[in-house]
Amino acid sequence: MKEIYIGVDVGSVSTNVVAIDRNVNVLFKTYIRTNGQPIDSVKEGVKQLKEALGDVEVLGVGATGSGRQLAGAILGADVVKNEITAHATATIHFVPDVRTIFEIGGQDSKIIIIKDQMVVDFAMNTVCAAGTGSFLDHQAERLKIPIEQFGDLALSATRPVRIAGRCTVFAESDMIAKQQFGFSKAEIIRGLCDALVRNYLNNVGRGKNLEPPFVFQGGVAANKGIRAAFERELQSKIIVPEHFNVMGAIGSAILAKDYIEKTKTRTNFRGFDATDIDFSTSSFECKGCSNRCEVVKVSMEGKVIAMWGDRCGKWTNSL
Amino acid sequence: MKVSFPYMGSAIVYKKLFEFLEHEVVMPPKPTQRTMDLGVKYSPEFACIPLKMVMGTYLEAIEKGAKVLVTSGGHGPCRAGFYGDTHRNILKSLGYDDVELIIFDAPQDNWRAFFRNVQKIRNGVPWHKVINRMYTLYRFVQKLDELEKMVQKIRPYEVNKGQTTQVWNQIHEKFDKVKTRKQLYEVYEECKQMLLSIPTRKVDEKDRIRVGIVGEIYVVMESSINFGIEEILGNLGVEVERSLYLFEWINDNLVPWILRPKRFKEIIKKGQRYIKILIGGHAVETVGHIIDFKERGFDGIVHLMPFACLPELVTQSLIPKISKEIDIPILSLPIDEQTGKANMLTRIEAFIDLLKNRKRGKTREIFIDNIQEDVQEERVVMV
Ligand code: SF4
Repeated sequence: MKEIYIGVDVGSVSTNVVAIDRNVNVLFKTYIRTNGQPIDSVKEGVKQLKEALGDVEVLGVGATGSGRQLAGAILGADVVKNEITAHATATIHFVPDVRTIFEIGGQDSKIIIIKDQMVVDFAMNTVCAAGTGSFLDHQAERLKIPIEQFGDLALSATRPVRIAGRCTVFAESDMIAKQQFGFSKAEIIRGLCDALVRNYLNNVGRGKNLEPPFVFQGGVAANKGIRAAFERELQSKIIVPEHFNVMGAIGSAILAKDYIEKTKTRTNFRGFDATDIDFSTSSFECKGCSNRCEVVKVSMEGKVIAMWGDRCGKWTNSL
Repeated sequence: MKVSFPYMGSAIVYKKLFEFLEHEVVMPPKPTQRTMDLGVKYSPEFACIPLKMVMGTYLEAIEKGAKVLVTSGGHGPCRAGFYGDTHRNILKSLGYDDVELIIFDAPQDNWRAFFRNVQKIRNGVPWHKVINRMYTLYRFVQKLDELEKMVQKIRPYEVNKGQTTQVWNQIHEKFDKVKTRKQLYEVYEECKQMLLSIPTRKVDEKDRIRVGIVGEIYVVMESSINFGIEEILGNLGVEVERSLYLFEWINDNLVPWILRPKRFKEIIKKGQRYIKILIGGHAVETVGHIIDFKERGFDGIVHLMPFACLPELVTQSLIPKISKEIDIPILSLPIDEQTGKANMLTRIEAFIDLLKNRKRGKTREIFIDNIQEDVQEERVVMV
């Protein structure tokens, strides 16, 4: 029977599930829209995994992403880690000498600085979404171009055009203006790619020392136009790893593997039957003291299995 | 007079102050989402978060019957100096003409106004009593801060998760009942024992992670707006110390200049290495404390800034340089009404991973050594 480690990355836009073997070969990967239903998307991902791989023995499970606690509770994860550590772990595995990681997903983007295989600095976008995938989606829709064709079209442009990409509002009015000046759609798209990269590097990368080798990952790394814009801006080669869009999930699987191997423990994995179990979450405001914590409660078939969010441990310890 | 005040940090201190002056005190509720909603609704959109939260607190206190609101002003060229007037105008436009707002600006800026305010809130209590009770309050703040510093050093190593916070809540309740200096010292000793009897893990000196928290006063002091960052860090096994404690703030701002502890002047001097002129807020102190924490062997700094806070933006822009020159990792966290907790947690956890890596070794294999303990720290309780 195949022995595998499962990694799950639950973000606000997508949920990724992977399976790796002992040598970190990726045996399975899937990418599901979260659609505000993290429990369903985690279940769906694991179900697909089971269908694709057949009989397997799960040795360990890792969870990451903004929904990591929830995913961890549902699956019985052994390691629950933040995205930055998870992404860095995976990237270091595939590109050992990496110095800078660009990670651009739907809503979030990050820059991770690595030295001697160690995270030494990082940044995430805060309030600005102009350096993320949703910015591109939105503009593609405006121009009535399927996002899949976006990259190729950008590459076909011959003239550069500067689009004000500081935010969606400015970008839109500037695009209209540039169209009226007679620039082609391809040129405008190339301008948009440049704007996104400029914006991302200025906002997220502000004050950071960006050194090659550069690795570019996350959903947006599929876009050739953006890749080219990075190469233009940084005057350097950009590496896009094979599994660019599921690196967080792979990283959490690696962390789970390392942890299980190191501690020689048995996994907490609930088993594939967990996909048939009925889970639900709810939250309430505790009025036990003036902290008024927002406590999250996860129930499995009506029985509470995990709680978090309480400051004093009153609820967490009550289980 | 039914008196209330902005809620910030250990708010029982302000409550004590007005109790000692024999006012009827309306305890403002600890800020919640509702406070935020109220504040945001009635404040200018581009105001920073402390102004909005305090606005919300005022409205909630007024709901509970407060007629007089007492607060401290700002000084230097930061818009905090306008807070008082802004709040006053908003209250007026909402029709609260009967609510009085008393603003204490730094005494050295205008002694006369300061004493006029003192007279107002003195409430006719004879001076010798005022002085005696203010001295008790001074010690009250000191003792409470001492206990808080203990809390911050015990929490990361507690065996039963959440116990330290529970004890800290109990300490507040006990302090709330204190009336005299004698009681204060007794309660202090009792609370100290309560803290010392919390079971803790033994952690080697070289494995301890210490983080200093710096930034604008409101977001540094008030846990409801900074997501309880001290507890988050403590639960991740990290010792914390803030740049600001009430007792030190009083010493630095209200105690006459001659009597002020030297420490404050030293911090300012350190800060002036990077910020030479007064730009308001706590920018110079923030930088000074970053350097100070580094000199005292701390492993990292968390810098809290209200979104669009000018002085802290200046600090933030200096941070890459400072971080590099004195070699200490610094995490800046902008705080606004939209700040999501998940996002904030991710940064904090990743930052602590980074500090542990730095301290204990490189590469994945060595990093894994830390995981076992991390897993225990981070995982939620599961059945
Ligand atoms: S969970 Fe604990 S700290 Fe939070 S409100 Fe309830 S009693 Fe207070």
